[in-house]
Amino acid sequence: MKYTPYSLTDLIRLDAFVAWVLNPDADSEAYWKGFLEQYPEKAATVESAREYIYLLAEDTGKNRPTEAQSSKMWKVVEDSMYVEEQPVLEEEKPAKHTWQWIRAAASVTLICGIGALSFWYFIRPQNVITRSEEPAVMKEQSLTKVTNDADRPRFVLLPDGSSVVLEPGSWLSFREMPAGQKREVTLSGKGFFEIVKDPSRPFLVYSRGIVTKVLGTSFSVDAREKSGEVKVEVKTGKVTVFSVGSDNASETEVNKAEKKGFILYPDQKIALAPGSGKVLKPIAPAVVAQNQYDIASQLFVFDETPVGEVFKSLEEAYNVKINCSVEALKKCPLTATLVGQPFSKKLAVICNAIDATYEIDGDQVRITGNGCR
Amino acid sequence: MVVKDTFGRWETERQLWLALRQGDEQAFTFIFEKYHRTLYNYGCKLTTHTAVTEDAIQDIFIDIWRLRANLTENISSIKFYLYRTLRRRIHQTLDKYPATEEISDITDPEIMPFSFSDSQTMLIESESNLLRAQRIKELLAQLPERQLEAITLRYFDEFSIAEIGQIMGVNEKSVRNFLYKALTAFRQTQNVIINFLLIICSLSNF
Repeated sequence: MKYTPYSLTDLIRLDAFVAWVLNPDADSEAYWKGFLEQYPEKAATVESAREYIYLLAEDTGKNRPTEAQSSKMWKVVEDSMYVEEQPVLEEEKPAKHTWQWIRAAASVTLICGIGALSFWYFIRPQNVITRSEEPAVMKEQSLTKVTNDADRPRFVLLPDGSSVVLEPGSWLSFREMPAGQKREVTLSGKGFFEIVKDPSRPFLVYSRGIVTKVLGTSFSVDAREKSGEVKVEVKTGKVTVFSVGSDNASETEVNKAEKKGFILYPDQKIALAPGSGKVLKPIAPAVVAQNQYDIASQLFVFDETPVGEVFKSLEEAYNVKINCSVEALKKCPLTATLVGQPFSKKLAVICNAIDATYEIDGDQVRITGNGCR
Repeated sequence: MVVKDTFGRWETERQLWLALRQGDEQAFTFIFEKYHRTLYNYGCKLTTHTAVTEDAIQDIFIDIWRLRANLTENISSIKFYLYRTLRRRIHQTLDKYPATEEISDITDPEIMPFSFSDSQTMLIESESNLLRAQRIKELLAQLPERQLEAITLRYFDEFSIAEIGQIMGVNEKSVRNFLYKALTAFRQTQNVIINFLLIICSLSNF
């Protein structure tokens, strides 16, 4: 210390100096004061080194998340806390808890489609039967198959509380989804999915040998392409897309999906060849396409809106019929933002607010209650 | 000047960690709120994809809550633990899914923008703060990833050399080397700028 006063870069790198600049205490203060008394000609160097350290700290600390990013991250984390601890909706009375559960229900939007195939099925419905006899689809008795032969989208409630709006000429098949087992559906055509989030159970959509696995929170996939591609687009969150040889993926395949598949992040899209999974168009920025039935892009924001009107907008979006015989209920004002949760959870929020109960039977919903105060 | 690290109503880091391990949601929320922004900042030094960073932060916090009961009892520093976990998580993601569009961006960490030499050129001590800020900005923008990472951990996050070594998975000597190279690059850059100015000056004299 006696004969080697530090150079500027020496000081910037010196631990004791950095500690003094960033976290001065009595000891370091005394030491560097003494140093400056001993080497007064070093005052400028010390000052300069200090300044550089501040600048380095400032400049390397500029990548802060926005408030929106922060709350998005926290929401995902919080969701996972309540998924684990509050699995049963009906047990929750206080509104606060309901919201926590609702937040746990991530909105998942899947639009998977195979244009040519669905058109073929649509005009030749008898072929649907042939298709459903494939072993992979029919191997369990509890298989449910929903075909939309109508010319309007059809609402389908899945056993886990997730919901699908099925486009005309499309069909969807699924098995029971008992707790602890993976959730799988097979889709032909185009469907709009809203998936209840469950980190322990991935949700898989099979379409022509391409599997879309829901990993994260809210996202949207658009896999419809007339050219025979299966196209997947992500808006927010994270999905994995991979190919399988059959209509069913083994446990290993699902678990290793991230390794062999493609992971998509927000605003990314990919196009794969059906079956082979060959990349037709590599991961690229997605152009957000607006869709009439894209519920993810619809905002259900209500401010003191009579519940009757709220029901009307839900009826239109999901193509369901909401029956509410109690006129007093329809007048109850509702203030809520119903974005990012499946249909059933939206109903739960509304009913909780107006002290009513709901029942879903196919595309019919019955609301019962006494009316609000 | 002294900024004491505070741990809310838990007073000590140890108590905060204990509360978390016992399932205290408020402790968990507090830890997220306290650290997620600087974690994000650090993550941005490891990948340019902010979504990767966001996901990694979500994942590590989800894991912490899920596995809270099994977390190690003795932890030297929550912040250190989080940083090390985040780095591991982001690198796992990047290794597994090397995004094709990123290949062109990959720079060899050992390739220096300017060749290393033991130049005696010193930083200009008397220049204005504005100029300094500008220089720092230019320097950091061109640093190889690992050097920038080390600089961030050292000067912004204020980790010790030993801690940085453990976070980055290298020995202390390597950390010092990263820092040394980064600051030497700075010196070299400066050299170039000065030479450039000298050339301009000499040209204008003609």
